[in-house]
Amino acid sequence: MHTQSTPATEQLAPSDQAIEITGLTRGFGSGERRVQAVDGVDLSVRRGEIVALLGPNGAGKTTTIDMLLGLSSPDGGTVRVLGQSPRQAVASGRLSALLQTGGLLSDLTVAETVDVIAGFHSASARVPEVMERTGLTSIAKRKVSKCSGGEQQRIKFALALLPDPDVLVLDEPTTGMDVVARRNFWQAMAEEAGAGRTIVFATHYLEEAEQFAQRTLVMNRGKIVADGATAELRSSLGGRTVTATLPAPIDQSTVGAILDELKRAGLLAGVQASDMQIDSAGVMRVRTAHSDALAAKLLALGAHDLEIVAPTLETAFTTLTQDAGE
Amino acid sequence: MLFSRTFYLTEVKRQLRNPYTLAFTLAMPIAMYLLFGANAAYADSSAGHGNVAFYVMCSMAAFGAATAMSSMCSIAASEVGQGWGRQIAMTPLSIAGYAIVKLTTALSFSALSTTAVFLVGGLTGAKADDAWRWAAVAGLILAGGLIFGLFGLGVGLAFNSDSAAALASISITFFGFFGNVFMPLEGVMLDIAHFTPMYGYVALVRWPITEGVLVSGGSDELWVVLLNVLIWTALFAALTRFGVLRSRRRR
Repeated sequence: MHTQSTPATEQLAPSDQAIEITGLTRGFGSGERRVQAVDGVDLSVRRGEIVALLGPNGAGKTTTIDMLLGLSSPDGGTVRVLGQSPRQAVASGRLSALLQTGGLLSDLTVAETVDVIAGFHSASARVPEVMERTGLTSIAKRKVSKCSGGEQQRIKFALALLPDPDVLVLDEPTTGMDVVARRNFWQAMAEEAGAGRTIVFATHYLEEAEQFAQRTLVMNRGKIVADGATAELRSSLGGRTVTATLPAPIDQSTVGAILDELKRAGLLAGVQASDMQIDSAGVMRVRTAHSDALAAKLLALGAHDLEIVAPTLETAFTTLTQDAGE
Repeated sequence: MLFSRTFYLTEVKRQLRNPYTLAFTLAMPIAMYLLFGANAAYADSSAGHGNVAFYVMCSMAAFGAATAMSSMCSIAASEVGQGWGRQIAMTPLSIAGYAIVKLTTALSFSALSTTAVFLVGGLTGAKADDAWRWAAVAGLILAGGLIFGLFGLGVGLAFNSDSAAALASISITFFGFFGNVFMPLEGVMLDIAHFTPMYGYVALVRWPITEGVLVSGGSDELWVVLLNVLIWTALFAALTRFGVLRSRRRR
């Protein structure tokens, strides 16, 4: 189930690589309580790629991002961003980030916050443009402490855009935003992506990865457990789920007969035991690549209340992270 | 990058609109000077090479500078340990640059506080024998204030941000009372005072006037005063080192 279909990155010249991570490891604590937060991550991202990083809490996403940005040093492995060390890339303004744990000073106004960070990047000339693009112009005079969670995320987004970076890293960028704010955020983000930036974002909103990233990485327990085109990743989990209520009476012989019929028609070929359930009410649930044929046969056999559901990235994600845990 | 003008000006602006900063580094030293210095019956009596009003003015300005240094340095350390430090780490400003800007801000406020107290002193009858004594006292206040900057830094690093600011300011007030800064101590209290952190600093600040002579009688040797300053500088440096290690572990 692990789709390691790295999109042909190895053959590319180093100048086409935005991010190159090899053998990255990082642990916390010591002795028996030592936790291996990142456990051998290899990753190449081409310039202009938009990559989503998915994973449950504690999967090692933020630890990986911290090392990618040079905020903490790895126990082992190397990180190169645009051929430089992360710190060099940050200092030259080519790498920037919206940090999940980044904080703002609550007693500054929005405009002061943006001005201070712009001063560090010698990018004061970009301030009006960036404020406009992130929708901060109308709240420029507001104290940061009076801003909503979503507005604070927009301020951080503006700070990340100030150096006009080539590589933009976003750690859970839409935390604290409502549905409308999230849609607006990704709209602004799409414009930035159009400008040819490389974007890596961590998220726990799966639909954000589905809608926005061409490539999705799934992390679990410090490892990358899947890496591929987002659409491929979704379909790689094998077909759709067919649900139907079998005709009465629901007893061993009737159900057994139906199953025999399906097997004879070759409709259960390749279906694992874990992909098929039948409950006591006679509701059958099968995950299969041949959903249409199976559905037709079930209806012919008298089943009713038929449903066919395509897998979402959510199911893919659950499957992947559970598999890796076993 | 080691200095950012925008950052410095914004930091100054932040402090100017912070009521705590204004109350403790400007209003309080001036008010205490007016109360115990300018308006005291003995204001014009001699305290060595200047009058008592001048002596009290030096003490209060020194206290104002120490307060400014310790509170601003403790806040600087707390902020860098929180998310804002990570935000700044994503810019070309180095940690040394951050420290330089914050220290410059704290020194600017010490200078502002000292200037304000001296200005009020000059207008209300604080007198010294020579003009250079004013300059010498001001120089000692600003230079010695760095010790309390180190103290603030250590507290800010070693404790979490909520308790650090309160701890730094409460400690400074205690240091002031037990360091013979506000009212002249006598007897056992004076003996104990010799060992407290602000005693050496304020005695050194007053040296151009008193040359070690104490208001309550007797006098201090210069080496006693300097030794106090040296030992407390070393202790605060050790606190800062402990704070650095502790904040690293917390991360």
